[in-house]
Amino acid sequence: MTVPLTHNSTAAPAVRPGRANATPPDGPTAKTKADQPRRRWSGRSRKDFVVFLAMALPNLVLIGTFTYWPLINNIYYSTLDWTLGSASATVVGLQNYVTFFTSEDASKVLGTTAIFTVLTVGGSMILGLLVALALNSKVRGTTFARSAVFAPYVLSGVGVGLVWLFIFDPGYGVLAWILRGLGQQSPQWINDPQLSLVMVIIVYVWKNLGYCAVVFLAGLQSLPRDVMEAAALDGANSVRRFFNISLPLLSPTTFFLLITTMLSSLQAFDLIRIMTPLGNGTSTLIYEAYLQAFGAYNRAGYSAAISVILFAILLVITVLQLRFVERKVHYS
Amino acid sequence: MRTNLDRRHFLGLAGLGAGAAALAACGGPSTAGPASVVDTGQIDFTGIKPAASIDFWTNHPGKSQDVEKAIIEKFQAKFPDIKVNLVTAGANYEEIAQKFQTSQAAKTGLPGLVVLSDVWWFRYFSNGSIIPIDGLVKQLDIKIDDFQKSLVDDYKYDDKQWALPYGRSTPLFYYNKDHFRAAGLPDRAPATWQEFAEWAPKLKATSGAQYAYIYPALAGYAGWTLQNNLWGWGGAWSKGWDITCDSKESVAALQWAQDSIYKDGWAGVSSKEAADDFAAGITSSTISSTGSLLGVLKAAKFNVGVGFLPGGPEAPSGVCPTGGAGLGIPSGITKEEQLAAATFLKFMTEPENTAAFSAATGYMPTRLSADMSAVLAATPQIKTAMDQLAATKVQDNARVFLPGADQEMAKSAAKILTQQGDVQATMTELKKTLEGIYTKDVKPKLKS
Repeated sequence: MTVPLTHNSTAAPAVRPGRANATPPDGPTAKTKADQPRRRWSGRSRKDFVVFLAMALPNLVLIGTFTYWPLINNIYYSTLDWTLGSASATVVGLQNYVTFFTSEDASKVLGTTAIFTVLTVGGSMILGLLVALALNSKVRGTTFARSAVFAPYVLSGVGVGLVWLFIFDPGYGVLAWILRGLGQQSPQWINDPQLSLVMVIIVYVWKNLGYCAVVFLAGLQSLPRDVMEAAALDGANSVRRFFNISLPLLSPTTFFLLITTMLSSLQAFDLIRIMTPLGNGTSTLIYEAYLQAFGAYNRAGYSAAISVILFAILLVITVLQLRFVERKVHYS
Repeated sequence: MRTNLDRRHFLGLAGLGAGAAALAACGGPSTAGPASVVDTGQIDFTGIKPAASIDFWTNHPGKSQDVEKAIIEKFQAKFPDIKVNLVTAGANYEEIAQKFQTSQAAKTGLPGLVVLSDVWWFRYFSNGSIIPIDGLVKQLDIKIDDFQKSLVDDYKYDDKQWALPYGRSTPLFYYNKDHFRAAGLPDRAPATWQEFAEWAPKLKATSGAQYAYIYPALAGYAGWTLQNNLWGWGGAWSKGWDITCDSKESVAALQWAQDSIYKDGWAGVSSKEAADDFAAGITSSTISSTGSLLGVLKAAKFNVGVGFLPGGPEAPSGVCPTGGAGLGIPSGITKEEQLAAATFLKFMTEPENTAAFSAATGYMPTRLSADMSAVLAATPQIKTAMDQLAATKVQDNARVFLPGADQEMAKSAAKILTQQGDVQATMTELKKTLEGIYTKDVKPKLKS
């Protein structure tokens, strides 16, 4: 699921989104567009419309075919008792949803999803901000460090997962080797469900903090210098400047990152699949949907219901963020 | 962000949604009642000409890609009118199953012949995804009596044959001969786990390895290999359709396994692949598939010994399950493709080809008349796997017939063997889960 977001930390919007038509620009008595008679379908506007269609239609067809059509199908499948691979199914209405919410799965899976999302979003953003602050300082080697920090983000999740498995492997992993040198046994990172979740979170944060760092860095570099200089002249130390000026002014960037990282965390799949194929302790909503349909159980209808629940959660989070969190954001 | 969702817009959207949902109902599975079961045992292939091309979906069990290619080349030379495309359809049995069932749901892109594991073929059967091959066996004169009876019988249900054995295996006891010698132990696998428990401290003290024994990776097929322990103690995952994983005997077996790790401290649990851990020298012994044999022999820098699986206090022998994969033919393809697939299936399981496959992988030859002399001369360890076949036991229903049971067993094993969870409580919980799967997913599909 993608959310149409535009992010520009330098140019503050003249009017906040959603309030553009609150007052007509010419005053309360000016006629709004709705009051005006509809314009005729002139040759020019028809031509514009054709150009619009030519440009937009291919994308609309692709989005309709590969996003909305599967989504609608999935909602329909969620009302079926359907074993994947079977040619027949039974309509069961909302039974799959009832089964999910009344089973132990719900609390386990939703709990794991919440822990994974909060820790990966929080971890990526906090560490990303710290790295961005470090990279923002004028010292040698920051260009290289910036590339190095960002590199994991563009690597394939499968490759990253496999490499980190070699690090975490309690038998012959690098970590086990170091711990053995210190006379310690390696924790059971892969077999213990709690440690598996910790392991996947660590790797996910490592992979994604570069993205947060680079976006925060762009935000930091676009902060108005005059405000910072004025604060410095007024005697505000660097910590106070950061918390009272930089951080509030970074709020559009933080807001943007909060939405994008939360959406991607809720949809994280590759690392979980590669590092913990059984999903023991790491089964988030999206992975549980996969396991139920394709992993072993073949419950396609039940899996579709879990996917719809995930979709609803993503939708609610996005709407809540746009409606409430955005109000706290300083755009200027 | 503000949207003006008035009643007209709302009704319009609702109508659009309902229309789309109704349209969606036109695709996917049929909801007009149970699918009509075609009596596929009576498919008449007379007058049918084999298709010109079929796909063979495999995960190359036991790193068999090269030998599969070689067999296909031989087949092309003999049957130039049937082209066989070798398709890597996954890295393991589960990934093949995923691809196969997705194609089945999409009703397109199905292969002619597919590798199906011991835990998947029954699901394909119950979904009507594969055909019984009795008619084709007769028409193509496949010498079914020349197959290892126990292996061929694994794919029989409802008096029909649903697949033929291909990469069939049993678990083997692998041991490091050098470690055994250094510990003053005999050059053989232990007869029972009790005997091994006496050997283990000596091995741990002298070998320098982390473990005297490592349990197979739980994310792999823990439910498969742990049957050895359960059976040795007189327990089982299930007896018939009764789930018995919480019985006194089953709990005692798993308690012993837990103690070997936490109390006695000589055993560990593999994280990824026990055969790799063994070949890397991390452990002095392990249990792994015969399909890992050639890989272990190639990778290990020490002398490798193999033996039968150890027995337990209640059953000193007959505690080894069979496993591995067979070959089946999908129901959703044309008769021409099915006939071409059966022609290839017959060729693939010919005695000389099963011997070649065995030589390349370590899997057991499936044909009685396969000439294994050259193979055994090169890899005498394969003989142990062949001999052990006589001491095998049919797997527990709960493991092979319940969808997702293997995963649930692995999770429970993880709780016991890596988190020192209470064995009885864990098995009671597992029983509840397995009974739920049986009642919901299997019982309604069984013939009364």
